[in-house]
Amino acid sequence: MRGATQTKWLVAATAIALAATACSTSSKSDDKAASGGGSIAVQLGEPQHGLVPQNTAESEGAEVLNALFAGLVEYDNKTNEPKLRVAESIESPDSKVWTIKLKDGYTFHNGEKVTAQSFVDAWNWGANQDNAAEGLPFFAKIDGSADLAPGKDKKPATDKLKGLQVVDDKTFTVTLTNPFSQFKTMLGYNAFYPLPKAFFSDPKSFEEAPIGNGPFQMDGKWEHNKQIKVKRFDNFPAADGKAKLQSVTFRIYDNLDTAYNDLRADNIQATDKLPISAMGTVKGEFGDRYIYKPESGVGYIGFPISTNPAAYGKPEIRKAISMAIDRESITKTIFSGTRVPADDFINPLIPGYRKGAMGDAAKYDPAKAKQLFDTAGGVPNNTIELGYNADGGHKEWIEAVANQLKKNLGVEVTTKPFEKFGKILDALGDKQYSGAFRMAWSMDYPSIENYERPIFSKVAIENGSNYGGYVNEQFESLLDQADQAKSPEEGLKLYQQADDVLIQDLPYIPVYTYMSSAAYSKKIKNFDTDAQGRMNLDEVELAG
Amino acid sequence: MGRYVIRRLIQAIPVLIGATLLIYALVHYLPGDPVQALAGEKRADPIVADMIREKYHLNDPFLVQYWNYITGVFQGDLGESLTGRPVSEMIGDAFPYTVNLALVAFVIEAVVGVAAGVMAALRKGKFLDQLVLISTLLVISIPVFVTGFVLQLVLGVKLKNDYGIEIFSVSFNEEDGLRAYLLPAFVLASMSLAYVARLTRTSLMETMRADYVRTAVAKGLKRRRVIGRHALRNALIPIVTFLGADLGGLMGGAVITERIFNIHGIGGLLAQSVYQKQGTIIVGVVTLLVLIYLVTTLLVDLLYAVLDPRIRYE
Repeated sequence: MRGATQTKWLVAATAIALAATACSTSSKSDDKAASGGGSIAVQLGEPQHGLVPQNTAESEGAEVLNALFAGLVEYDNKTNEPKLRVAESIESPDSKVWTIKLKDGYTFHNGEKVTAQSFVDAWNWGANQDNAAEGLPFFAKIDGSADLAPGKDKKPATDKLKGLQVVDDKTFTVTLTNPFSQFKTMLGYNAFYPLPKAFFSDPKSFEEAPIGNGPFQMDGKWEHNKQIKVKRFDNFPAADGKAKLQSVTFRIYDNLDTAYNDLRADNIQATDKLPISAMGTVKGEFGDRYIYKPESGVGYIGFPISTNPAAYGKPEIRKAISMAIDRESITKTIFSGTRVPADDFINPLIPGYRKGAMGDAAKYDPAKAKQLFDTAGGVPNNTIELGYNADGGHKEWIEAVANQLKKNLGVEVTTKPFEKFGKILDALGDKQYSGAFRMAWSMDYPSIENYERPIFSKVAIENGSNYGGYVNEQFESLLDQADQAKSPEEGLKLYQQADDVLIQDLPYIPVYTYMSSAAYSKKIKNFDTDAQGRMNLDEVELAG
Repeated sequence: MGRYVIRRLIQAIPVLIGATLLIYALVHYLPGDPVQALAGEKRADPIVADMIREKYHLNDPFLVQYWNYITGVFQGDLGESLTGRPVSEMIGDAFPYTVNLALVAFVIEAVVGVAAGVMAALRKGKFLDQLVLISTLLVISIPVFVTGFVLQLVLGVKLKNDYGIEIFSVSFNEEDGLRAYLLPAFVLASMSLAYVARLTRTSLMETMRADYVRTAVAKGLKRRRVIGRHALRNALIPIVTFLGADLGGLMGGAVITERIFNIHGIGGLLAQSVYQKQGTIIVGVVTLLVLIYLVTTLLVDLLYAVLDPRIRYE
């Protein structure tokens, strides 16, 4: 008996001792925080490719590159408006020829100065199809891009974009094939980051240890499936704001649940992707340190307007279907609040979004929907088919939509699973599938235009994501006018008019938009995420 | 015996070639486009997709692709993933974790399982026997991911946050050495451990009733010697078979356990490459697994002869 009591005391004493050491170590790092310092670890998934900005079109690689590079513009964490960063000015009299001037003081981590040439070389590399870079589509608006990407079985005749001209060390001009008033908004994306000369002499080592111009630099090489370590770059211009932390370790996880448990145990200090299983409890556990804000994704139900006009050709039918869907209950019960009802074709985080723009088309009203559906003449065989890809967790909400349509419109609804997303796209492309389908979009750059032209324009039928084959000349001409607008503000108004056309026609019906959730530990402060869901690691500090 | 081993090893060659061809064909004819899979939810840019297909010869006929692959393999080149990493490097990164985890799990399952089984068999119907029976039943009926998540939450999060004790970390941390493997290996081994305990118990109880055991007891041998030398040795044959097959399975990677504890081993690599339809990785990994199975079954067969002198290999 006595023995047992003694052991208990021993355990308690050890626990206290351990806790005490824990306290003393944390107070030590607090001292460092005062002078700017400290080290943290954050969650990451294994990036898909070598870490070259022009070859990265997925979120994990972009997260790391965001710490290692500084772009011409960056996006405000609150409004998502582009702000100048490496650029001193980005101006154009006609939205076609853009003059970009650079600020002084930016150097690459190996000491090379960031010049106009660093940008031009990087963009030429990214636009060249021989390099098969994932970011290639971003250069499509620049004059001469077609010469560098002539397509299969052809060789580019040149390796330089005709539209890029270096004026001097700090100035270059970009000529676009057609005017585009929102061009500046694209430039914060990582495809437009500069590259140092070192990349071109040894791309393989660059992929494992990129040399950027950002607030952090690589500390060693990328340790695949384990971690990527970065440390503060001390020669980063103070005007832009040097990093506060001494170093950051991106720890690589396959599984968000594990990362979340590591965050709860303070083994990592932040994650910008929470598992669904955490959604119920995270608010209570993390309080103010839980961030919940719109993310760029939109989920749609799409219609094969050109293949099956008999069923889905009438806007009234599409509107009736839209009104028969209870968005609120789908986002609450099926997605636990990780998605919210959509009420505009434009995502809420994009400048130009108008709350409730879709009006009654997005309001759940079974009675009106049924009436509209019947007056418009219904669908052939009284049957609606809903296709979805079975590999992406879409079964539940598509089944829910099917049940609601069945109940509210009095139609037969069949659901058709495709094994992969690519399969639906193929079937739609070959016109072998003529039912309605699940579709989604997430932005390439935070501009209202990115929610219109790539999904609903005529050119996007061949070369984009217009799988329904929707064509509306008024929409096309509004887009063209908006592109040619003399100022972004003027353009924005015209894009909103184009949005009104979409709301009238409902080529797809937006069902929900995504919410991003992030959480961070007590150990840090000033944590936030941007429109792409990337962490603002250069502003994060240890909590005092 | 030497000739027997050599014959078995020669037999392995056609098995390997057949296996690679079969798997290569299966992956090739799997529906879905690997280049689209890379792009995820968006349509892959047509030009970029064409360039990737050209670079990795995805447009060639099946047999040409297989020939290119297999000649590469004989020159020691396992090919590249569609994102440009050498497959040999990816396997080389993942395999040590899987081997370590499998070995630790194997030791836990063999030692604890056999010991529990022997104790239960010798105290048939008593408290210890009931305890082993009930606890193993419990382990068998709970799925591994539940055991894994519960232990992770209790030992990794709660123990640290509430008591400041940090013995097991939430996710695998290489710096912790052997300790890092203990919890995942225990979770991984738990199911098999329960089977081994139950198998040992039944098998030993049966041999205890055998004539030769009764003879040994009648001869006046010590109980320890009767059990160890006569009964257990014969009872071990089915257990060795099970353990041998299980070792192969453990080496094949434990997708669920690896995922829970964030161990980037063979299981995760295989699961991910199947999902992305990355043929070169799948074939490389599976070929390695076939090799491992061939070697473990050979070892098991040889062990039989050690346990039972009547079994001879000529």
